[in-house]
Amino acid sequence: MTFKLHPLVIVNISDHHTRVKAQTHHTDDGSGSSGGSGGAATAVRVFGCVIGVQRGRTVEIFNSFELLYDPLTHSLDRSFLEKKQELYKKVFPNFYILGWYSTGSEAQESDLQIHKALMDINESPVYVLLNPVINHSQKDLPLTIYESELHIIDGIPQLIFVRSSYTIETVEAERISVDHVAHLKPSDGGSAATQLAAHLTGIHSAIKMLNSRIRIIHQYLVAMQKGRHTGLHLLFMRLPYSILLFDGILAGSFTSDQEKKIGTNLSGRRIAGVENLVAVASHQWSKSPPESNLSARGESRVKARLETETRVGWSSEVQWSEPWCTEVATMDRWLDRGSLPLVEDFPVWDGSDKGGDVEEELGSNS
Amino acid sequence: MDSSSSSALARQTWELENNIVAVDGSSGAAGADADAIYFYDEAAQVKFQQEKPWAQDPNYFRRVKISALALLKMVVHARSGGTIEVMGLMQGKTEGDTFVVMDAFALPVEGTETRVNAQADANEYMVEYSQTNKQAGRLENVVGWYHSHPGYGCWLSGIDVSTQMDNQQFQEPFLAVVVDPTRTVSAGKVEIGAFRTYPRGYKPPDEPVSEYQTIPLNKIEDFGVHCKQYYALDITYFKSSLDSHLLDLLWNKYWVNTLSSSPLLGNRDYVAGQISDLVEKLEQAENQLAHTRFGSFLLPSQRKKEPEESQLTKITRDSSKITVEQVHGLMSQVIKDILFNSVGHSSRLRASLPDLTEPEPMVES
Repeated sequence: MTFKLHPLVIVNISDHHTRVKAQTHHTDDGSGSSGGSGGAATAVRVFGCVIGVQRGRTVEIFNSFELLYDPLTHSLDRSFLEKKQELYKKVFPNFYILGWYSTGSEAQESDLQIHKALMDINESPVYVLLNPVINHSQKDLPLTIYESELHIIDGIPQLIFVRSSYTIETVEAERISVDHVAHLKPSDGGSAATQLAAHLTGIHSAIKMLNSRIRIIHQYLVAMQKGRHTGLHLLFMRLPYSILLFDGILAGSFTSDQEKKIGTNLSGRRIAGVENLVAVASHQWSKSPPESNLSARGESRVKARLETETRVGWSSEVQWSEPWCTEVATMDRWLDRGSLPLVEDFPVWDGSDKGGDVEEELGSNS
Repeated sequence: MDSSSSSALARQTWELENNIVAVDGSSGAAGADADAIYFYDEAAQVKFQQEKPWAQDPNYFRRVKISALALLKMVVHARSGGTIEVMGLMQGKTEGDTFVVMDAFALPVEGTETRVNAQADANEYMVEYSQTNKQAGRLENVVGWYHSHPGYGCWLSGIDVSTQMDNQQFQEPFLAVVVDPTRTVSAGKVEIGAFRTYPRGYKPPDEPVSEYQTIPLNKIEDFGVHCKQYYALDITYFKSSLDSHLLDLLWNKYWVNTLSSSPLLGNRDYVAGQISDLVEKLEQAENQLAHTRFGSFLLPSQRKKEPEESQLTKITRDSSKITVEQVHGLMSQVIKDILFNSVGHSSRLRASLPDLTEPEPMVES
């Protein structure tokens, strides 16, 4: 399942936590808030519900609201949930309850109970966990999304939490307000010069980011070429910047069609296409023109890998045919020409988000 | 990393220029000072409400602090309404002469500009929502209302003014906020305004004219008639330490959206509307000029103390605003074009555009 998270949810949960923390710190008996569980003053957990839209395998979380938690029964107050749900339905009729959220450092056993209780509203709820501890050294959002899956452990089918990856999705207005509050664009008119400067600074920082990430990929690929890494980590295919890059480069020219594709968020098909492309390219490196020469086993293996390991479901629109020739050639120009290992050599990806590990690996090998 | 240090520097520069204060006290302070603004002191609020210092001075409240969450919710809600006006309520408290808006929620009413009593419809909703919120730990009261003016700027219309005057009579302290989601997207910055009305019959001291904003022709009368009946408050924003931290990290995943956003495409209709409005204003100015050609000798005696801007000057300003926005959008597109399409001919482009920060070549020779 693909998860898309809106920044509003993140700010909402963080605000909920901050409020409760502020309230409990100031009241003497520590029971001032009824929204959080009655835990220790330092580790107050807050609970709530996330709402949004689910289309097929894509789950998009738009908003959230608070819920009452009863520490005695380890469950969420049901009538309260229903009342709130009604209120939110009136204003946002399209949103359904997709799951619940909580704060803490990791998922706990008692959370499973809550999760199960919600399964009658949504057969496959999601659990969003935010770690409110501020750790300046971490580079990733301390937010994890868990799905529940039925696994057979010791012969007994049990429900366990499985981490899922997610992307940040946003509408333009949301992006601007988040930018505004986070990155402090000028709030009022100012002169035309300051506005221009602000606008360009924003783009400049984004491009700088893109540049630094690309350098990392490049270094990684060069190192790999020199034989220091055995596998093409599929993880780098997941990273959105590489997709954006490939999309732009593969396009070749900026037709209006392409503008739309970059302007709106990249479609799942495109992402699947790119990942497919990388797999094909790496497999067919020395051959030209690339055709679907993969053995049946290789082909099915790549398909299976891409289906399970990437966020996007396999798109039947992806073609293993001619049009990819030119795109592989373009990509060829970008990457140094060299031989890459075959698909079969890819290490099995264990599903964890190792976005930062590429840098670590490079650091250790340099 | 290089990028992080320069972005930190850029951030600090902006932080000084803009009134955003991260509510976290000094770095390393214990929990007591941090996020203190989030604490709701009920007793103090009740006392303040009994004192009613605003009753003596209609200009008492001067500033507004809006939390990151409230801003986000209001803008998202306003945008989701599209071209229909939507409204909602804001919760928070007052601190001296400042309104503090902690949260906002939407009301299930629409078309607030055409009906007088839209707020009354939502009373039941509001009561229920406030109740559930108090239970869930959101203790603040309703301190104001917000609504959207999609595409026509942040100001109070006639209906808004009378609604707010009633509010300020019966529900003090109360604040009115207007959001323009369309202009937010097209300009790339948040269009928001906070207002309080003067009581009926009160003559405000002559205030300097606030920042000029373009008003579409069909609304300009409504704006002009009532613009003296209310005043604007300064808006600043705040966020908690956790918010700042999360938003920082969010940027790591977020910059792709910044780069991929394309305001030119998203705002096609709005821009077309702006241009046609400008054309109408031009025609009107032209007609006026034709009529007063012979009366130009009378003008000097009629001149007021403040030189009133001629219509043509206003139109010029409007058109430059549209141009600036378009140029911004175009610049982003050009930058992206150079960035992504320069593979293969980067050297040629580099020679012709020495001013732009050079994108590093993708392939190192």
